[in-house]
Amino acid sequence: MGIIKKELIKNLSNASKIALPSSIDRCIRCNTCKYAKDQYYKSCPSGEKFLFESFWASGRIKIARGILNGDIPITEELYDAVFACPTCGACEISCQAPHNDTIVTIIESLRELIVDSIRAPERQSKMFERIESHHNPYNEPHFDVDEIKKKYVLPDKAEIVYFIGCTSNYRQQTIRDATLSVLKKLEVDYTVINEHCCGSPLIRTGQVKNVFNLMQHNMDEIRRSGAKLILTSCAGCYRTLSKDFPKFGYEFSSEIKILHISQYLNEYFEKNPFPLRQKDTNLLITYHDPCHLGRHMGVYEAPRQLITKIPHLSLIEMERNRDLAWCCGSGGGVKIGYPEWALEVATSRLEEAENTGTEIVVSTCPFCKTNLKDAAIAQKSTMEVMDLVEILDKYLP
Amino acid sequence: MENKDAIKKQLIKIFGVDFVSDKQHDLYMYSYDATECKAFLPDFICLVENTDQVVKVIELANNEKISLVPYITGNNIGGLTIPVKGGIILDFGKKMNKIIHVDETQMYAILEPGVTFGQLDVYLRKYHPNLRYCYPFAPPFSGVVGNAILSGMNNLSTAHGSMGDWINGLEVVLHDGSVVKIGSCFTKDFRKDNWYSRYPMPDLMGLFVNWQGMTGIVTKCAVQLWLRKKINTFIIAMTYGINATVEIIREFGRTELIDDLSAVSVEVAKMSLDFPMPRKWDFEPDYAILIPISAHSQKHLQVKLELLQDVVKLINKRVERNVILTDFNYLSAILGEGVRCFADLPNVVIPLVEYSGLTWVGCYAPITNLEKLMEGGKKIFEKYEVPAFIYMKSMKGSHYAIWRPIIRYKKHEEEAKTHDMCKELLEMGLKHGIVPYKTPIWMAEYMKEYIIDPNWVRFLGDVKSFMDPNNIFNPGRWGL
Repeated sequence: MGIIKKELIKNLSNASKIALPSSIDRCIRCNTCKYAKDQYYKSCPSGEKFLFESFWASGRIKIARGILNGDIPITEELYDAVFACPTCGACEISCQAPHNDTIVTIIESLRELIVDSIRAPERQSKMFERIESHHNPYNEPHFDVDEIKKKYVLPDKAEIVYFIGCTSNYRQQTIRDATLSVLKKLEVDYTVINEHCCGSPLIRTGQVKNVFNLMQHNMDEIRRSGAKLILTSCAGCYRTLSKDFPKFGYEFSSEIKILHISQYLNEYFEKNPFPLRQKDTNLLITYHDPCHLGRHMGVYEAPRQLITKIPHLSLIEMERNRDLAWCCGSGGGVKIGYPEWALEVATSRLEEAENTGTEIVVSTCPFCKTNLKDAAIAQKSTMEVMDLVEILDKYLP
Repeated sequence: MENKDAIKKQLIKIFGVDFVSDKQHDLYMYSYDATECKAFLPDFICLVENTDQVVKVIELANNEKISLVPYITGNNIGGLTIPVKGGIILDFGKKMNKIIHVDETQMYAILEPGVTFGQLDVYLRKYHPNLRYCYPFAPPFSGVVGNAILSGMNNLSTAHGSMGDWINGLEVVLHDGSVVKIGSCFTKDFRKDNWYSRYPMPDLMGLFVNWQGMTGIVTKCAVQLWLRKKINTFIIAMTYGINATVEIIREFGRTELIDDLSAVSVEVAKMSLDFPMPRKWDFEPDYAILIPISAHSQKHLQVKLELLQDVVKLINKRVERNVILTDFNYLSAILGEGVRCFADLPNVVIPLVEYSGLTWVGCYAPITNLEKLMEGGKKIFEKYEVPAFIYMKSMKGSHYAIWRPIIRYKKHEEEAKTHDMCKELLEMGLKHGIVPYKTPIWMAEYMKEYIIDPNWVRFLGDVKSFMDPNNIFNPGRWGL
């Protein structure tokens, strides 16, 4: 085997400079990453769709190796194999090798290498341009934080910052409004900040050049708020603030805690009884684990425990749940890069939800909600797609 | 290749545009495996779905004189799917992977080539809970048919021998595109219920078993299944010294009381407990011998265990330090769940996936020479300062044995050193009568030069020429 071409990685982020060379001596391609461990059912949306070895985790590790060895040239021909993956992390759960928890990082670093060497695929690169100009990937005018503060009578400084996240702020605004409303109903001392995109869409697609500015801005804003706790209603923001900020050198002080809203509310209702509303009807729901909350951050039980605390709600699990859950198909830049396939993946998940006999599929990520809802509309499904905080808001007096 | 574009067009016509690739990164995937065998790029990858496609691609390959390399999951640890002459990789693992039929009464399953052990296990547990197949010391996503036609060993081998012995029937596409069914399924029409036996007609199966895809392309395979008894448990024997270890392997194997017997050097057991480079301390046993036992009832199990204890008593009279026989379930509860990866097959055997490279000198061996092989192997591991990873097994009632020194290595850095070590192990082993299975090309060539009767080599070549006149089927294997 040849020598690692170190010049290829010299411009990459420090995390990628470590992750990529490590791929050179990883993986015997035992194929365990391809299917859900022990159950042997399908778990990799990318491999199942495109089938060729390059589209499974072990293949992507091999691509990294081949590029670094000089055996594979970096050309646009690589785009699909490298970018057609929602980085859901199912492979990390199944893989039993010592490198299992680095697979997603290797894939993201591989994307960074390709973006650095040639450029990002056209569709994904739009997110970069939009975030540069409007601080959000949806090309919407930057939101007016003062308007929200005024509407909900929020202070400039508070114990808690609710980090809204772009998808809730610009697309799934009902999740934002429900979160603001729930926190207000519970009389929580919180505020919002003039946030920019957390950087997740850029990190997931290897376009990391601008994430440092985003992270710096958001950290400054959070510091200014005086908050000791950051709440997110987006699983992607939660992962990025918790895992990626430190990875890129932006570590919050130990006094600042980060929680997903489902964790916070679950803890809240541990200590405080749930206020009952008499007229509510019983609802059967099923729960979809967002990859960024579940596999990426290990939060599986808090949302479920919160569901069980809400009177009149009954949870029926899908066959694939928790760390074995099938991805909704929207993450990792797939929704913008491969919209039709993203919908196929979500349709498969929706069918699984329908098989539970429930009427509502609940998630805890606005991006999952977007894609599952798109699938429901496309399929003319009667299944309702909601965020847990939206349900909670309905049930809280 | 001169007419690559034209060939690609024809391949797309056969397999469909989404299932043919000649992209560099797709080809690269199939150019090497975990072993230290030399890498070669194929020209095309085709994802196969049915026998008809195989017939058509064989016609194309003959016309164009291009080679065909069958591939399932690539876990063979012999470099067997590396396309040494380039050509077309026929990947059966992605689409041609159906369990066609399970005959509950006659206890067999008809499989497409891409079926994996994990898939078959789940299927049988769900739909035929009284039946089981067997599982090798390999990841769950290894191909059943590939293992069977390469005579792989498994967790029922001490009782029943290799997987190659349990093939009831094959469907094979020959060089001229004809589809032939071999075994009792040889009737004009395809019937699911007549794949019950390999005999008594002339045994044409031997033209395909262990030939590494050199004589035709297998598209269906019927494998024998076994009754899943009510009780399935494990005991473990800890042995001090070579003599005691071999005594247990030989004598336990002969009792016909156990399903299987796998002996590993104690360093291997430690590897599963997260010791990265384990060494054996003087006070520790040398070998751990895992013994799966099945029984129809507790009473049946008790009788088996008592008889095995009697064997141990006799052995203990002959060896320096007593053999310790204990309940593996009890031991694993103390040591940690990691060691169960050796027992609860199909499973990922953790020590095998810890590095980027994995290779072995996997051999059938005369059971009479295990002592010499163990001694010689240990010295070579010590010379290369690698923790001893030696795996042995009694086969088919101790008629023969498996001796398999395994080397885990960093593929990027240690290929040359690893190859030197394998060569020394091979040379030493051949002196004591071993025959490597899933034989890599370099081992086959070494044996042809130094060991094998030239008449055998000539006959092998004659059969290959007859079966594959244009040498399109996985050429290069066995130096042909």
